Amino acid sequence: MMAVLVETKELAQTIVASVVAGIGITVVFSIAIWGVGRYADFNRDERPLAAGAAAALAGGALVATLAAVVFGIVVMTSK
Amino acid sequence: MSSDVILVIVVGTALAFDFTNGFHDTANVVATSISTGAARPQVAIGIASLLNFVGAFISISVAATVANDVVDAAVITPTVVFAGLIGAIAWNLITWSFGLPSSSSHALIGGVVGSAVAAAGFDAVIGEGLVGKVLIPAVIAPILALLVAGVAIGLVYRIVGRQRPGMVTRGFRYGQLVSGGMLALAHGTNDAQKTMGVITLALIANGSLAPSSDPPLWVIASAAAAIALGTYSGGWRIIRTTGTRIIKMDAAQGFSAQGAGAAVILASTHFGFPLSTTHVINGGVMGAGAGKRVSAVRWGVAGNIVTAWLLTLPAAAAIGALAYGATSIFGSGALGPVLVTLASLSLIVAVFTQRSRRGAPVPAG
Repeated sequence: MMAVLVETKELAQTIVASVVAGIGITVVFSIAIWGVGRYADFNRDERPLAAGAAAALAGGALVATLAAVVFGIVVMTSK
Repeated sequence: MSSDVILVIVVGTALAFDFTNGFHDTANVVATSISTGAARPQVAIGIASLLNFVGAFISISVAATVANDVVDAAVITPTVVFAGLIGAIAWNLITWSFGLPSSSSHALIGGVVGSAVAAAGFDAVIGEGLVGKVLIPAVIAPILALLVAGVAIGLVYRIVGRQRPGMVTRGFRYGQLVSGGMLALAHGTNDAQKTMGVITLALIANGSLAPSSDPPLWVIASAAAAIALGTYSGGWRIIRTTGTRIIKMDAAQGFSAQGAGAAVILASTHFGFPLSTTHVINGGVMGAGAGKRVSAVRWGVAGNIVTAWLLTLPAAAAIGALAYGATSIFGSGALGPVLVTLASLSLIVAVFTQRSRRGAPVPAG
């Protein structure tokens, strides 16, 4: 009876998409901030290699965050 | 001729509702950005208005649900839709008056369901659609936003907990410009569509559109403009409740709450669930607060909000049914809607006058 009333598949997809996007984007953006912070620390300690790696991580995470946002909008507009 | 007059009144009332929806929900969209200092109030509200307008154009799934899956369009008349809108507007104004962020969406659906029941009995309600597409998502969505925001903020503090606080705050404030924008876009797409759905329902009931039609472009554009204008006008009373009274937020919490809210609303909109953006965003705010420290959430204030949530559907339904009864006293012509509109406008003016005597809403800036 409940399965008839509730659109189980669509509801499950909504939950999965919300969890992945909501937690995923926040975590990836946090990694970007962590990378920026570590870059500043390593730079101050004159460790250029580590600073470069931290900067690359921050840049990658930032790009991933923006890509996820754009992907979300594209999915929304595609229906 | 008479039915066309009623239709014009219904469209005007629906757009007025859409305006109050934007006005009422401004807080949901911008409160977290303002309270964490991510954006100045006028800037946050200006961007939110623009993105609400844009958001209204990106999907029509929710409009289709409201127009076709909640009440039986075959037994609905424009007068029923009109009475439902009166129920929703009245409840929105009552909750605004008390500074409670209740759901405009549930007020609208409750109002239409109440007036439909008053007009044609319980057979007019599509139980499967109401339960499966409105009530169950209504329960799940805010809990989901609460959990997503709670888990997200827990992970955020694990990742950036040892970083310099100033840098972390600055970073998340920049992030909030994006997460706040996504939230405004999500709000526009889900909430403006409810008005589109109701106007479409009235057009179908009037015979101006074929059953199961999509909203025409003029309906989409006018609903987008109304919600954007309403958002720009803002509701400072509720901004204060959402932004500072539930929890005192830092920028990371604001980002988590907005990210969770936007994710839940956009995903739900994609599948045509007309959920309450208010419930979802407040769920996200509570989750972000509780994720840091459960006692950080002012549960008394949260309890008042939950009470308003629970009351919204039945209260708006009751007012919608009463509005239909009052309209029907004057027959099936345009006189009833005209008189009820005038009476409603008088009440609105009285509420605003009384409020301004007691004290103006919290000022901007």
